[in-house]
Amino acid sequence: MGAALRIAAKDLKLRVRDRSAFILGILAPLVLAYIFYLVFGPAATGQGLNLEYGLVDEDRSQISSAFASILEDAEDDDVLVLEMFADRGAADSALEGGEIDAYFLLPSGLDQAVRSNQSGTIEIVGDVDSPTSTQIAASFAEQFSSGVRASQLAVATTATVAGARVDPEFIASLSQDPAAAGMTYALADRTATTKQLDASTYFAAGMAVFFLFFTVQFGVTGLLEEDRDGTLARLMAAPIPRVSVVAGKAILAFLLGIISMTVLVVATTLLMDASWGAPLGVALLVVAGVLAAVGIMGLVASVAKTPEGAGNVGSIIAVVLGMLGGTFFPVAASGGLLASLTYLTPHAWFMLGLAELSSDAPWTAALPAVGAILVLAVSTGLLSYTLLRRRMAR
Amino acid sequence: MKRFGDLTAVDGVSLTIAQGETFGLLGPNGAGKTTTISMICGLLAPDQGSVTVTGQEISTKSTKGRSEIGLVPQDLAIYPDLTGEENLRFFGHLYGMTGGALDSRVDEVLDVIGLADRRDDQTKEYSGGMKRRLNIGIGLLHEPQLLVLDEPTVGVDPQSRNAILESVESLSREGMAVLYTTHYMEEAERLCDRVAIIDEGVVQAQGTRRELVSMVGEKDRVAMSASGNLVEAAQALRGIEGVTDASASDHRIDVLATDASSILPQLLATVTSSGGSITGVEVEEPNLEAVFLHLTGKALRD
Repeated sequence: MGAALRIAAKDLKLRVRDRSAFILGILAPLVLAYIFYLVFGPAATGQGLNLEYGLVDEDRSQISSAFASILEDAEDDDVLVLEMFADRGAADSALEGGEIDAYFLLPSGLDQAVRSNQSGTIEIVGDVDSPTSTQIAASFAEQFSSGVRASQLAVATTATVAGARVDPEFIASLSQDPAAAGMTYALADRTATTKQLDASTYFAAGMAVFFLFFTVQFGVTGLLEEDRDGTLARLMAAPIPRVSVVAGKAILAFLLGIISMTVLVVATTLLMDASWGAPLGVALLVVAGVLAAVGIMGLVASVAKTPEGAGNVGSIIAVVLGMLGGTFFPVAASGGLLASLTYLTPHAWFMLGLAELSSDAPWTAALPAVGAILVLAVSTGLLSYTLLRRRMAR
Repeated sequence: MKRFGDLTAVDGVSLTIAQGETFGLLGPNGAGKTTTISMICGLLAPDQGSVTVTGQEISTKSTKGRSEIGLVPQDLAIYPDLTGEENLRFFGHLYGMTGGALDSRVDEVLDVIGLADRRDDQTKEYSGGMKRRLNIGIGLLHEPQLLVLDEPTVGVDPQSRNAILESVESLSREGMAVLYTTHYMEEAERLCDRVAIIDEGVVQAQGTRRELVSMVGEKDRVAMSASGNLVEAAQALRGIEGVTDASASDHRIDVLATDASSILPQLLATVTSSGGSITGVEVEEPNLEAVFLHLTGKALRD
C-alpha cells in the first residue's frame, strides 16, 4: 500500500504541475455549468423566471374570481407573484416601471358573456422585454378559457338532447373548480421519476459528473503514459508488487475525482446557489460516482494500446454516457427506450439520487441510487483490474 | 528462452557475471539484448530457464532479489515535470530507502552524476546528456549488486558519452557487477572484462576479447617502420613463439602474432639485434567487429 500511495502522490504532484487536471476537473465544469444555467436554466426547468404578474378584475364576477383564485393558488405554490390592481392605468404604470412582467385584464361583461354562450376575452398585456413571462401568462389564460369552453360544450350537448336551456349557475360552479378548468400547473405530490432539481443544481451536478469522467481519466491513463515514457519498466523492476502500480493509478484517479467533485459542490453552492441536498447523501453519491468513473475509465485504459487512444475512446465514452445519463437535458423525462437506457449510466443514477435528496429529504433517500452506482463501479472495476493485471503480466 | 508467439526472441542464453566484473552483451538492434535484460530484471517471465542474483531467483511474481538489481533502461525513464532530486527520491522510496540514508545517498549520487547544482530544476530543463546521467543515477541510487545498463549511450553526444563510460568504469572498480548491452564495439572493448556476442536471440560466443579473437583465429598485426637489414630481421622474428608470420618490404616489417602486446619488447629487440633500426611501431589488434563478422557473417550495425 505504501508504494501505491507513493506512486499516487508522485502522480498528483505531476498533475498539479501541468494544471490540466485543474482545468478539466474544476474550471471547465464550473464555467460550463454557470453558462448553461444562465442560458438554459429558466427555460429548461420552468423555474427561476421570477414570474411577476398583475391582475385587473373589472368584471368582479364568479368567473373572474375563479380565475383570480387559480392565480393565487399558483402564487401559493411559488410559481408566480401576483399583484392586484384597481384599474388598467395602475397596471400599465407597474408594467412600465418594471414591477411586473405582464398583467391579466378581466373586462367587465366577461361573466355575462360566458353565461350567454357568447365569447369573452381575457386580455394579457405584457412587457416586450419579457416575452417568456408573457407567453406563460397567455398559457394560464388559455388553459382557463379552454376548461370553461369544454364545460359549456358538454352541458350544451346534454341540454340539446334534453331540450332544456343551459343552467348558468352550473357553468359558474364548474369554472370555480380549478381542476375542471384544466389547470395542471400543480407541482405537489411528485413521484421519484418526476422530481426535478432546480436549474442551478441541475447544471452544476450535470457538469460535475460529466467532467468527472475526464478528470478520472488522467489517473487511469497514467499507466499507459508510464509505459510510453519508459518509466513503467523502472516501476516494474522495483521491489514492489505489480498491483501497487495499478493501485497507485486508481488511487490518483479516485483522489482527483473526489477533489474535483468536492470543489465543484462547494463552489456551485456558493457561486450559483445550487442546492445539493443532505451533505451525507451527497458525499455518498460523490464517492460512488467517482468509483464508477474509475471503473469505467479503467476499463478503457485496460484495452487501449496508447494513452492517446485511451484519451480518444475515453472522451467518446464520457460524452455518450453523459448525454445518455441526462447531464445536459433530462433524458429520463423523455420516455421510451432512452428513458430506460439512461439508467445504464452512473450519471442518471447520480442525478436521480440528487433529485431524491431535493426538498430537504434525508440522506437515506440517496441510498438506492448509491447502491445502483456501486453495482456499476464494482462490476467495471473488477473487470478492468483483471484485464490490467493480465496485461502487466505479459 | 523467451518466445513471443511464433518468434523466438531469446534462446539458450546462459551468462554468469562476477562481482566487480563488467560484462558486455554485444549485438545489433533486434538481437535479443533488451529481452534478455528484461528477464534478468524480472520484467519478463522466461518461458524456460531462470535468473539468479546473489542467490535469489528473480521472478515477475515476486519482489525477492529485485533490490539487488539496478536497471538503466534504454529509453530515458525519468519524469520531466519532477526535479532531478525528486526523481531520485521517488525511486529511492520505492526501493525502501528513507530518512537520512536516502538524503545522503541522493547527495552522493547527484555528485557522482554531476547534477548537484541542478538538483532543483525540473528535468525537462536538462540537456540530453544530463537526462542520461540522471537515468543512470536512478539505477545506482540504491547501491545494487548488479547494475544493468541497456544501451545507455544511444543518442548521446560524445562528451556525455565519455562521461557515462567513465562512470561505468568507476562503478566497476568499486566492485559493482555491471551488465552492459551495446551495439557499439568500441564501448564493449573499452569497458567489458568479458563479452557475449548475441545475434538472433542466440549467444554466438562469449569470453574475454582475447578469447573471442583467438576463438575465430584472428591475429594481432604489428607494423614496424624500420631501416637496415629487414629481411634478416623478419626471418629472426618468425622464430619467436607466438609469431605466426613476418614479412619485410621497403622500410617496413609486418608481423602477425597471437598476443602482440605481450611479446612486443621481444619483437623490438629481435629487429635491433638483427641489424634493423626501428623508427615507428603500430600494433593493430583484431577487434570485436571482426569477431562478430566472422561469427554471424554480418556487420554489427546491420
